[in-house]
Amino acid sequence: MSNMLEIKDLHVKVEDKEILKGVNLTIPKGETHAIMGRNGSGKSTLSYVMAGKEGYEITKGEILLDGENILELEPNERAVKGLFLAFQYPIEIPGVATMTFLKAAMNAQRKARGEEELLTPDFMREVKSAAKMLEIDSAMLKRALNVGFSGGEKKRAEILQMALLKPKMCVFDETDSGLDIDALKIVSQGVNALRDANRSMLIITHYQRLLNYIVPDVVHVFSNGKIVKSGDKSLALELEKHGYAQYDEST
Amino acid sequence: MAVKLNQSEQVVLEILQKTGADELAADFAKTGLPTRRNEAYHYSDLKMLLGNVPALATSSKSTSASLVSIEGAYRILIVNGEVQISDEPPAGVVVSTSKGGVVEPENDIIAQLNSALTKETLNIDLQGSPETIIHIDRRYEGEASHINDGVELYILDNSNATIIETFSGSNEAHLSNSASKVILGRKAKATHIMVDLSGEKLRHLQSVQYELNESALLHSLIIHKGSKLARTQLFAKFIGENAHADFAGLILGAKEQHSDISINIEHNVANTTSSENYKSVVLDRAKAIFQGKILVAKDAQKTDAAMKHQGLMLSDDAQILVKPELEIYADDVICGHGATCGQIDEDSLFYLMSRGIEKQQAKSMLIRAFLAELFDEIKIEALKEALISVADEWLEA
Ligand SMILES: Nc1ncnc2c1ncn2[C@@H]1O[C@H](COP(=O)(O)OP(=O)(O)OP(=O)(O)O)[C@@H](O)[C@H]1O
Ligand SMILES: [Mg+2]
Repeated sequence: MSNMLEIKDLHVKVEDKEILKGVNLTIPKGETHAIMGRNGSGKSTLSYVMAGKEGYEITKGEILLDGENILELEPNERAVKGLFLAFQYPIEIPGVATMTFLKAAMNAQRKARGEEELLTPDFMREVKSAAKMLEIDSAMLKRALNVGFSGGEKKRAEILQMALLKPKMCVFDETDSGLDIDALKIVSQGVNALRDANRSMLIITHYQRLLNYIVPDVVHVFSNGKIVKSGDKSLALELEKHGYAQYDEST
Repeated sequence: MAVKLNQSEQVVLEILQKTGADELAADFAKTGLPTRRNEAYHYSDLKMLLGNVPALATSSKSTSASLVSIEGAYRILIVNGEVQISDEPPAGVVVSTSKGGVVEPENDIIAQLNSALTKETLNIDLQGSPETIIHIDRRYEGEASHINDGVELYILDNSNATIIETFSGSNEAHLSNSASKVILGRKAKATHIMVDLSGEKLRHLQSVQYELNESALLHSLIIHKGSKLARTQLFAKFIGENAHADFAGLILGAKEQHSDISINIEHNVANTTSSENYKSVVLDRAKAIFQGKILVAKDAQKTDAAMKHQGLMLSDDAQILVKPELEIYADDVICGHGATCGQIDEDSLFYLMSRGIEKQQAKSMLIRAFLAELFDEIKIEALKEALISVADEWLEA
């Protein structure tokens, strides 16, 4: 199987309104693709449907992860198969310590692979080194999950989770929004460090700038619930110049 | 006009007559058990709910293993109402027993029954700052029986004490009516915790009375986990200025459990403050009840009291009933109450699951998070851990 992700003619309704109107997207193993599209066009909806959030009615189509249809799987089952979504708006969970959460997530994935639970010193070492790479202050990790994190800190924490969980299909929903220029570089380095022949990435963004750091193999234009054009990275530059208007016509 | 007594009430009446509690028997013959028409029992109509009243307990030697063990604690057993002191108490702790019951909050029939029927009260005086946690291990053992027991704790002036009372025993249809009276002297500090871990056939009625003298500081925590029917009524009186109390509680309800915590806080003098922080988590067809009454007397100026109840419903058939009540006769006070009730937050659950955590575990994490605040207030690590494991066991069951 050489494709990591195949989305075929995906139609999704939310509260009787069709939001995704026939998405087709194939990402081969090792490739990084970007999706750009205007506000409300359905990008986050696509990412949530991939991750298995409730409340979406899939009326048609399928999503294959490494050749396997995942639409019937629970979100945790998709995660242990290697899917990871970096949320546009990471959820704050008071009362759940960040470290407890990280350990639970890592152990859940190990359990699914039939591995032993992580020993605390090993866990601490892994978290420390990932946090260092992303320049995350260890004081932040002592707090409750995402609680009181600044917008940028939340995004960094998402990448930290990704670095620890080592998924094979990473979806980033506007991970760059809320990051200052330095943080953008750090996060991009973190992401780039994880790029390899067996890992694919889908980057949802509004800004071409991120794509200077994480250079995509393919750029897709998303409009009104589907992909309307695909091209190489120069498409992002063109979009930055001319906007989305021309694509509205074609839908 | 006297009410018509039902079977259970007839038995209670006979017990009172046999015990020689004539006055109370005469009253009881007229009123019977509290019903929903009695405001304090509105959601816990004992006439309907109590069921069979077994024979008064006889002494029992057999005891099951302790359900909670707290490292380094000084433990005293009360088995079927009989105080069993085996170890030498630590320095500053004076242990004795006295005949008869202990609490008598005016006009409450359950407390009155306890006073009339308790044969022996455990008295503990605490002086200085005994490091040792006092664990009063109240047991209801053997065949189903009707047990009355009582504890009186006196934390002397300038002293500091930590006491936990646990309720457990054989899983028979016992009826337990227990009482605790806690008196805090001037500048006394106490943490007083009560945990009902009884078996699922038990009917557990409990009255707790607090008296706070000048500059006393109290942290009270009630946890209901066991029993088919559990009702704790708390009566607290601020009688000295500058005293402060944090009242907290937790109902963990499952299956058909009926669990009621009703508190009555009286700020009787000026410059006293309190917080009331209660939570309920219910699943299956369980019913949790919280009634919170705060009274601020006419002269109790500068009272500051903030009450809240937070409910977490884990099934559609469960119920949480909350009744806050403020009765304020002073004009310069700050008093408030709030109640929330919700289900597990779907977005949080999805977030945790999207990282690979199984649904059940993710739910447990969110329930623990909901409870964390109550346990974080417990500063003694061994105690905190014991309480968290009580909640964890419930979550895992
Ligand atoms: N739960 C919901 N109920 C109703 N409408 C919804 C719901 N979720 C999404 N929508 C609608 O679906 C459309 C697509 O939303 P989505 O969040 O996927 O857009 P997006 O492309 O991610 O936008 P942005 O760039 O602003 O993040 C919007 O019109 C939104 O209002
Ligand atoms: Mg979005």
